[in-house]
Amino acid sequence: MKKIAIGGGQGFWGDSPDAAIHMIHNADIQYLACDYLAELTLSIMAKQQLKDPSKGYAPDFVTRLLKAAGKTAWERNIKILTNAGGMNISGCVDAIRQYATEENMKGYKIGYVTGDDIKSKIPQLLKDGWTFPNFDYEGDFTDIVDKIYNCNAYIGHEGIQSAIEDGADVVVTGRAADSALFLAPLAYEFGWKDNDWDNLARGIMAGHLLECGGQGAGGNYMYDWRSVPQMENLGFPIAELTDKTFEITKAPDCGGVICEQSCKEQFLYEVLDPANYLTPDVNVDISNATITQVGDNRVRIDHIHGKEKPDTLKLCVGYHKGWKTVSMLSFAWPDAYEKARYCADIIMKKMKQKGMKADDVHISFIGLNSLHLNVADMSEEALKNLNECVMRIAVFSEDKNECAKIIPEISPMQLNGPPGASFFGGRARVQEVMALWPTSVPREAVEIKSHIITI
Amino acid sequence: MREILLNDIAHGRSGDKGDTSNICVFARKPEYYEIIKREVTPERLHNFFGDMVKGEIIRYEVPSLGGFNFVLKHALGGGATMSLRLDSLGKSMGSAIMRLKIHVKDEEL
Repeated sequence: MKKIAIGGGQGFWGDSPDAAIHMIHNADIQYLACDYLAELTLSIMAKQQLKDPSKGYAPDFVTRLLKAAGKTAWERNIKILTNAGGMNISGCVDAIRQYATEENMKGYKIGYVTGDDIKSKIPQLLKDGWTFPNFDYEGDFTDIVDKIYNCNAYIGHEGIQSAIEDGADVVVTGRAADSALFLAPLAYEFGWKDNDWDNLARGIMAGHLLECGGQGAGGNYMYDWRSVPQMENLGFPIAELTDKTFEITKAPDCGGVICEQSCKEQFLYEVLDPANYLTPDVNVDISNATITQVGDNRVRIDHIHGKEKPDTLKLCVGYHKGWKTVSMLSFAWPDAYEKARYCADIIMKKMKQKGMKADDVHISFIGLNSLHLNVADMSEEALKNLNECVMRIAVFSEDKNECAKIIPEISPMQLNGPPGASFFGGRARVQEVMALWPTSVPREAVEIKSHIITI
Repeated sequence: MREILLNDIAHGRSGDKGDTSNICVFARKPEYYEIIKREVTPERLHNFFGDMVKGEIIRYEVPSLGGFNFVLKHALGGGATMSLRLDSLGKSMGSAIMRLKIHVKDEEL
């Protein structure tokens, strides 16, 4: 029976390429898919591209992955699929072309898929009566339309599959859904039709278990993190599918763990309703799914079902919201928290004197409650023995200058505040705040095109 | 009856979609599933998290995996770069929920 193995090579832009490189050299896989895009990554890329038109994609895909193992992947006939194109697909393709030319990889085929970036179509869609309703908050899209950095539809697997059919050795996309990168080669290899919902759903869940890299193989593993072997050589997961079976494993000679619990934690990660996990390709139902250990570092996934795909595509809109700055100051035992709290009060009184107009202020104490906030242990016992505590004040304002007012007030507290304050990390900066407008767009508004060039 | 922490009988992971946090929680042993089902309700989580979570809390049951998926809306102080929190993506929401105190009969453990 035909079996296809696909590896998950990257969990986000900035992830380590080590596991992907190891997999290319050592694993029996035919495909490797690398996800570089989180929700706001495209806004960051769009902003970079405004400053420098040659930017706007994830250059690491070429500089850290292809340069280390791209030629080996080609020689071993491992096809690589990635959304590293971000906002600048042609820039990414150019970088790959330059790499392949320098490596003398004659005949190397670079596929790419365009059409997800629909920013230029917004005026027409508004004229046509599409309102871009916000799924999470009230608000009128026309109020933010001038502040938009990017507007990209989450596209499905079809364009990627076309490029694979045309013989691409590497396929670059922009905002393809993470899991579509994995579904495309499986749909191609097994000839799944566009309405073969159960099989499409299996392919999507293979992608879902792989798209976060190490998190699918013992990274960020709450069940028993101490038991994970060789985290310094953490392997990333591999999905092996036949027309009937679906298993997860990992490459030989690497660390990490593949077991029921590690897969479960990733299985529901960033899922909302398990009976209706919406993707551009299929509405996935995992509410009856099972995960069973079938071997050493090998689990089998069953009972995944699919339903008809949604009528609309999810749209990722990032826009300018305002500015923020984060200031910190550390305090030591005794009474570390009391001092840090007192210092925060002094600073806020000073800011009131200086008339800072902040739209939001968030004060927390690192080492105590900056992560768990309301549910952190603030008992007398916990506070009494605190060795150290870092005051953290974050300010948001729509006005950059208002936001910046707090910055010079922090380091003077070393001499002018409670005892033992220690300033570190240099003066804080004002950072731009970008926000997401979660919405959808009609499928007809998105024209997906697949292209190919040969070296 | 005795009081234990959810952490004693469960494990899980949290993720984010905009300002929505999802926390999946799994029973460490199959027999703990019913305890979690009884004790970890959206109402209790509302009281537990307080104004950290400003929106609705929905619980989905996935018995075939021995677990639950909790969806917490308006839970991340705006989410991603909007949030002023240190943990703007709510990576630690998965461990925060494990602090929940729950009540069990001795014979259930």
